[in-house]
Amino acid sequence: MLPLIQNETLKIIRRRRFAVVIGILFAILAVVTYSQYRQLRDRANRNWRADIQQRIAGYQNTVRRGRINETWSRSLRAEINRLQFYLDHDIEPDRPTAPLFVRNFANVAGFLLLPLLIAILGSDIVSAENAEGTDKLLLTRPVRRWKILTSKLATLWIFATLTLLCGALLSYSVSAPVLPRAGWTAPTFTGFQVTRGAFSFDAVRQLPLWKDTLIAYGLEWFALLCVASISLMLSVLFKSSAASIGTMLASLIGGTILLASLIGGTILTRMSPDWTAGKYLFVSALPLADYYTGVPPPYEAMSMWFCIGLLGAWAAGAMIVSYVIFTRRDVFG
Amino acid sequence: MQPTLVANHLTKVIGDRTIVDSVSFQLYPGEVFGFLGPNGAGKTTTIRMLVGLIKPTAGSATVCGFDIRRDFEKAMRHVGCIVETPDLYRFMTGRENLEHFARMLGAPAEEIERVAELVQLSHRLDQRVGTYSLGMRQRLGIAQALLGSPRLLILDEPANGLDPAGIREIRELLRKLATERQMSVFVSSHLLGEIEMMCDRVAIIHHGRILRDGPVKELISSRQEMEFRVGDVERAAQIVREKGFEFRADTDRLWISIDENDAPSLVAALTAGGIAVFHAHPGGDVLAGDGRRDRGLVFLAYPEARSAEGSPVAQREPCDGRRAWRADRCATGDPSLRSG
Repeated sequence: MLPLIQNETLKIIRRRRFAVVIGILFAILAVVTYSQYRQLRDRANRNWRADIQQRIAGYQNTVRRGRINETWSRSLRAEINRLQFYLDHDIEPDRPTAPLFVRNFANVAGFLLLPLLIAILGSDIVSAENAEGTDKLLLTRPVRRWKILTSKLATLWIFATLTLLCGALLSYSVSAPVLPRAGWTAPTFTGFQVTRGAFSFDAVRQLPLWKDTLIAYGLEWFALLCVASISLMLSVLFKSSAASIGTMLASLIGGTILLASLIGGTILTRMSPDWTAGKYLFVSALPLADYYTGVPPPYEAMSMWFCIGLLGAWAAGAMIVSYVIFTRRDVFG
Repeated sequence: MQPTLVANHLTKVIGDRTIVDSVSFQLYPGEVFGFLGPNGAGKTTTIRMLVGLIKPTAGSATVCGFDIRRDFEKAMRHVGCIVETPDLYRFMTGRENLEHFARMLGAPAEEIERVAELVQLSHRLDQRVGTYSLGMRQRLGIAQALLGSPRLLILDEPANGLDPAGIREIRELLRKLATERQMSVFVSSHLLGEIEMMCDRVAIIHHGRILRDGPVKELISSRQEMEFRVGDVERAAQIVREKGFEFRADTDRLWISIDENDAPSLVAALTAGGIAVFHAHPGGDVLAGDGRRDRGLVFLAYPEARSAEGSPVAQREPCDGRRAWRADRCATGDPSLRSG
């Protein structure tokens, strides 16, 4: 199996896919770091308590006016409570530091950017062989088809892991020169919960930032492995690389827009509260790191374990479909 | 002697179309076997079934005694193949491609040098395959197929894209592999001349069925056919018939089965009969007598120089005896195919 994985790794590197992914990550991180740096400069002579109070007041007004949907107002109330919590404990939230930048990368990038990059890496891992005609050679060597597919899946998982690690390393190395480098031990608060419309502090835990970061990355890692597995399925189903990448990107972006509308209540406002099937979409469960931090999921019933289970089920389903089709189908020209 | 490859009533049905219909043959060590048929006859589908890319609707194939479906890994260990086109990873170098496939076989690194040497590609091995010509890709494909010292080599249209010198090289290489290493070589082609020069035995496939299977010498006679362009075809035909030669006629040409040594006397006879002879030159081989009467084989004898499908290489090298298939003419009863 190891030689097969070595082969697949070589192909991804020679196709320059991974270089593109790292390039995109670097460019985006550089821009965001610059904006953080500007923010840090602006903050220097401001009173953060007044800022937070102002934000809370703004949110409260929005909620009181009541012209927003239930999901949106629920998430605003959660945010108000979260900010209040920091205020009560005299901790400045969201002050830009390099460690916090790394931590937030898991949330921000985990929502759309990293899944997109994994889709770029993974969606043509089988279909490109088909399109370029190399599958005829690959599948006529004395290696069973399931082994070949397993090597491809393992390689995708390796590269999903590498992408996340590179993202973390890059976000630190890009931000460290301009943002404060200390802060790994700063306290963070996670586990804000909304149960039956009321905000609950019961589950709030105080963690040092590094521990919190590890948990967030762990969740994000799991989510990315699931995205990789789904990419593999599309790559098996479609014969052309463009079709498989396109479908994966469309479902990620489409799903994210849908999700944003469920949470933000901007586009499909009337649809959101009643349309419960949305919680079974894999994109709904994708921002695991966000949900962990305390962003309420679009549906109340979506607990962390529900999300993890849902993603796992999607990945398992995708793998079953991939294996069944790949090992049985006739390979024509 | 145990056969290297046995195809046992291989059949592939897709929808209501039978693409390959109960194809059976056997290959023995040290033998070059030709699989001859026009485009769309079912050659590639048969090959895809032989190497496990397509599941047969019925029938089976075994390589060195191992069933291709039940014992896929054991069977394929003895097979090197190129299916249709020699598609390799264009974004990798020739060496990386060979390393890739050697890793799948667990073949040692020295073998890469050996097979590259064999197909004379060593000097370009470190360049990207994307920069290779089709002929070089074809050779790299053969090198890849030779990794792991297989006992059976399956090559689909190996002469495609090669110039005459390249074709000769491949031909010599395949012969060498068969005689020196006792490999079985399976070569498919739609060109009669190519098969004739390369193979010991040939199976002719048309519309998914094997029409004939036997030694090349029995199916294709070595007697030359000459092309004569004459002033009055009908009268010339009469004279040729009187002289006892077999022929086919066109509006201004005759293809006559005649030995070169008999040509001067025939030309003299024609001239004596008042018929202008504009030119006379060798036009390649013809099928042996029995084959010519077989309706399915008539198209085999059609000279490639007159075919739109004939490759430019073939046209420039008529003495190579390459002819394209014209099954369509056979079906419509083209007058030029009428036998004398």
